[in-house]
Amino acid sequence: MVQKTMSSRDQILGKIEPLEPVQYPGAFTKASEGFDFMASLAVVGARVVSPSELEELFPGRRRFDKTMDGLSLADVEVLEIDGEFGVAENGAIWLTEEAMPHRVAPFICQHLVINVTEIVPTMHAAYARLGGVKSGFGLFLAGPSKTADIEQSLVVGAHGARSLTIVIRS
Amino acid sequence: MISHADASEIFISDSERTDWHDETLWFVRAKRDKVSKVLPEWEDLREHASQIKDHTLANLGEYLRAFEAKAQANGIHVHWAADAAEHNAIVHGIIASQSSKVLVKSKSMLTEECHLNDYLASKGIEVVDTDLGERIVQFRNEVPSHIVLPAIHLKKEDVGETFHQHLGTPKGNKDPQFLTEAARQHLRGHFLASEVAITGVNFAVAETGEFVVCTNEGNADMGAHLAKVHIACMGIEKIIPKREDLAVFLRLLARSATGQLITTYSSHFHLPREGQEVHIVFLDNGRTRQLADSKYKNSLKCIRCAACFNTCPVYRRSGGHSYHQPVAGPIGSILAPNVDKKANVDLPFASTLCGSCSNVCPVKINIHEQLWFWRQDLMSAGLAPAVKTVGMKMMAFVLANPVIYRLGGAFLRRFSGLLNNRLNPWYKQREMPVAPKDSFQEWYKKR
Ligand code: SF4
Repeated sequence: MVQKTMSSRDQILGKIEPLEPVQYPGAFTKASEGFDFMASLAVVGARVVSPSELEELFPGRRRFDKTMDGLSLADVEVLEIDGEFGVAENGAIWLTEEAMPHRVAPFICQHLVINVTEIVPTMHAAYARLGGVKSGFGLFLAGPSKTADIEQSLVVGAHGARSLTIVIRS
Repeated sequence: MISHADASEIFISDSERTDWHDETLWFVRAKRDKVSKVLPEWEDLREHASQIKDHTLANLGEYLRAFEAKAQANGIHVHWAADAAEHNAIVHGIIASQSSKVLVKSKSMLTEECHLNDYLASKGIEVVDTDLGERIVQFRNEVPSHIVLPAIHLKKEDVGETFHQHLGTPKGNKDPQFLTEAARQHLRGHFLASEVAITGVNFAVAETGEFVVCTNEGNADMGAHLAKVHIACMGIEKIIPKREDLAVFLRLLARSATGQLITTYSSHFHLPREGQEVHIVFLDNGRTRQLADSKYKNSLKCIRCAACFNTCPVYRRSGGHSYHQPVAGPIGSILAPNVDKKANVDLPFASTLCGSCSNVCPVKINIHEQLWFWRQDLMSAGLAPAVKTVGMKMMAFVLANPVIYRLGGAFLRRFSGLLNNRLNPWYKQREMPVAPKDSFQEWYKKR
């Protein structure tokens, strides 16, 4: 019996032969612009309100507060956090863990409110804006949680927040 | 194993359901067309993505090492599994040190490939699938029939009955909103209680050691951020070189998959949460063999968007379960024979070779050509079902019907000798819609 002497790591890496070189294509430079952030937000199911409308809509909301922990967040009805920037082409908003009480916060609350002050045109511009990794966790979030797993009927509020409200602040 | 052809016969025996399945998936395909056409750079994006993947595959070892070093420096544990058995043993080893006997898992076709749920069940550990569609099929002791829409073979009546049995929802209630809410309540309890969460990985970035998981429901995040231990399972082909490459892939993925502008949540996991353990398991399971074969290596570029499923006239009318593999559809039919030729000999024949799959594929995999290569390889290995004069009969049948002819395309005409009539049961019992008279000419001009 031959004993297994090589680790699976070395075996796998050993089996990967370098193939004929293929050049890395570099940065994508052909992105179109002129996307409408508001229109994209509507497509992904987010609602945009003014600061005064927000007061009327969610008077009892809680703004990001470092004392919240993951489990008590389960009972948070409405949570308000700051997004870093929005992406016009798809209505996604970049969020980092520094701007939320816990990584699970934007998912576990019932309704989410995000403040947006800056907008970039595309995902390419978004990653250029981000540069290297600065947060342990970050995400692009576009609209409320949704599913169409039952007969392709769109249902909003699968596991994450049931609604997303955006306030554009300058 | 029941062959694709025989399983398809069963599937199409319910003609109403078959029509619904067909039309619903075609609708998803049409949504994909709409949102991709909005971008004038769509074809450039596909080409760019294809080149990034080609480049990555050509340097896969280097990128895997780079990712590993970065991820480890970020405090993530990296494991390597040569095959499904080793993958499962590694995952079990990680879970065994936790007290909990129940864990939550978000969608991961790779864990389906490894039959992880059954393996863990044999060790006394219950896996709760948290994607709604996956939870539905799990309750029913079925497997997903589609990699993006796991329960697309079911009607709301089926789901209502399943939830009535397993979640105690009122008998006869089949309202998707109501049933989704029931699942939400049921699964929230599991998210809050689970010590371990398993997720898949959509992209792993060599440059940074971070990995990205995309869901619409938020289930991967609910699991991962509440659990003490997060295990992310990925095939070695999921590596991409740079962070900025994510822009290209995230733009293509959701548009190709469901016709969305972007998936609702694209989460970038870089460092473990304070006090959390994060593990990544790399799986080979035949991928290095596929990589070494110049005819088939391109199939490893797949980003699992399922656009090739939705467009495929055979998939739409035969259902995912007919493919008897966790990854069905055109891409599954070229991946499966690599793992086991004999058991999957029928799959490369479950196609009209119309080429629609290759046309929609966001990373430009030559899917229909590879299907044809597999037919040749399986035939020369003496494994393929015998082709007699069936090809000719098939031709006559096809030419007599404009709709099939339209679906069939150039390859059907050119390589009809490689077709097997018996393997095309989805044409049976189908009252073909009458095509407008000039449709063929219109189509022909466009080719
Ligand atoms: S082969 Fe292409 S179209 Fe099919 S799932 Fe993979 S990436 Fe999508």
